[in-house]
Amino acid sequence: MENRPLLRSTLAIYTVLFIGFLYAPFVVLGILSFQSGPEGGPQFPIIEWSTYWYRHIFGLTPPSRVAPLPIGEALVRSMTLAFATMVTSTVLGTMTAQAFRRRFKGSGFVFYLVVLGMIVPGVLVGLGIALVANTLGIPRAWWGTAFVAHVLYTFPFAFLVMLAIFNRFDKTVEEAAWSLGVPPMRTFRKVTFPLIFPGVLSSMLFAFTLSYDEFPRTLFAAGADLTLPLAIYGTFAVEIHPNIFAFGVLTTLFSFSLLAVYGFLMALSVRSAKKVAIQEEIA
Amino acid sequence: MTAILDIQNVTKLYGNEVALDDLSVSLEANEYISLLGPSGSGKSTLLRVIAGFEKPDAGEIFLEGTSLVGIPAHKRGIGFVSQSFALFPHMSVFDNVAFGLRHREDEPVRDEGEITRRVNDMLALVGLVDLGDRGVNQISGGQKQRVALARTLVADPKIILLDEPLGALDANLRSRMRVELRRIRQQLGITFMHVTGNEQEALTMGDRVAVLDSGRLVQIADPDTVYNRPASARVARFLDCYNMFEGRCEDGDRFVAGGSSFPYLPAEDAQAGPGIYCVRFDKIRVAPASEASRPGEVGVRATFITSEYSGPSIMYFFEGQGSKVLEVEYHLSHRQPDEFSPGSEYALLWSPGDALVYF
Repeated sequence: MENRPLLRSTLAIYTVLFIGFLYAPFVVLGILSFQSGPEGGPQFPIIEWSTYWYRHIFGLTPPSRVAPLPIGEALVRSMTLAFATMVTSTVLGTMTAQAFRRRFKGSGFVFYLVVLGMIVPGVLVGLGIALVANTLGIPRAWWGTAFVAHVLYTFPFAFLVMLAIFNRFDKTVEEAAWSLGVPPMRTFRKVTFPLIFPGVLSSMLFAFTLSYDEFPRTLFAAGADLTLPLAIYGTFAVEIHPNIFAFGVLTTLFSFSLLAVYGFLMALSVRSAKKVAIQEEIA
Repeated sequence: MTAILDIQNVTKLYGNEVALDDLSVSLEANEYISLLGPSGSGKSTLLRVIAGFEKPDAGEIFLEGTSLVGIPAHKRGIGFVSQSFALFPHMSVFDNVAFGLRHREDEPVRDEGEITRRVNDMLALVGLVDLGDRGVNQISGGQKQRVALARTLVADPKIILLDEPLGALDANLRSRMRVELRRIRQQLGITFMHVTGNEQEALTMGDRVAVLDSGRLVQIADPDTVYNRPASARVARFLDCYNMFEGRCEDGDRFVAGGSSFPYLPAEDAQAGPGIYCVRFDKIRVAPASEASRPGEVGVRATFITSEYSGPSIMYFFEGQGSKVLEVEYHLSHRQPDEFSPGSEYALLWSPGDALVYF
């Protein structure tokens, strides 16, 4: 690498472009969210810097022609749904990956069957679930049919993460625990789980974020009460005001804080597992 | 002596590969048995089957007269120390050793005071007194080995299986641990079964040595017998201390290999036919080609190639008929190494009584 200036500069440019494209929309969003209100719209240049739209979200501004964002309940729904999906998918994914540690009859087939969940087009899955629910007379709801759709979608991700973790897992520590008289279930709790915990965290993060901003599957499966992405999309249909941008900034900050918690927990569990090895000091 | 562990006709297959082939062996209480075999001979598989990590396809195993068929690993009361030590990386040394006492299904120890006492006693026995608070990644390889051993010993198993326990240690540490293992075993009076691919380790450690080949038990005897009277040519070859001539026996007391022919003392099962004639490296005397052999000596002529000095002994390499490499070992405790000139011919002489013939 050191001796290839061309390759180095190409990669450097690529990296800069990548980061630019990744963050430019967010920067634009961020700037526009500080537009003055209620007369300012999503346009450059900014008329005047203000925190009007942030106050607007929380209902702290005097009534105006711009209606408050109808997102309060949707936010609670999406959070609840994402949390439930996260727990369910991670538990299922971990258990399935545990089952895949031994080759069983048809394991290859079952593997593709599971992974297919992340490949099939989301809109079709959502539509399918809606049709099945209608046929069976099951009412569609965000906590019912949409929850099923979300688990279907996030479970393969959780499963793959855990599969990768178990691939590198040294099963001799489990055998050691068994040979000490510790039954398999307690061995899992006391030995296996603490060691795979970083993977469990990752798979929780995956499941939560995927579910939190899931749109196509939820569109048909959610029923009358909307989740957050659906509610936001609904507001686009009328007129776009910068309060959406302010809200976008807030949710992004929320996601970052989730990542920070994840990073913190990860660092904790990695540090407890990998303390500095010291030199041979036996005589 | 009563058999503590009785393995009867155990067969284990991996797909079409036979790992254990109708193997039977029995272990006596309070003995150190070393299980020797080349890699792929099934020795680790045997250990895993006994421990309950693998199910045998046929055969039975009895521990103190009770069948182990269908009994899961955690109910067997058999200790297992693996080559990689398999310490719990998220626990301290103390917690590693205390793990079995705290969490086992049968009679877990609830009293922390008793746990502390038993763990500290065990850490003292293996020589790790002040290391209880360390993380297991903060100690050396030899110390890890001792933690693994202490963790198994504290659970008071009936037998301890050791799967190449010294394989991950450097040579210096290995010889120290050999002594330690024997001392600890004698102190506690537990049966140890020690798997190794190293013939020296097997001979040093074992009260008896069991030799495994292709999933079968080919010999089980005390180390002296295994070394001096290997049960078959394969065992002799694996011990790596015999020159072996392939040829045939004729007239009941002559062995012909290529152009050479030597008399041998016929064994009871002697017969005419193809066989293998073995002479141990250190039973051979090298003489100038001109020197007449002493009465009763037999030998071959061979060209000196090179030598390899290893401290207490020296190996000389000769080339005999048909480019066959012959090795001679001189123990240097009572003699000086000889100087031979490369390319010159010498006579390699031995007494027929030292030769072994296999059919």
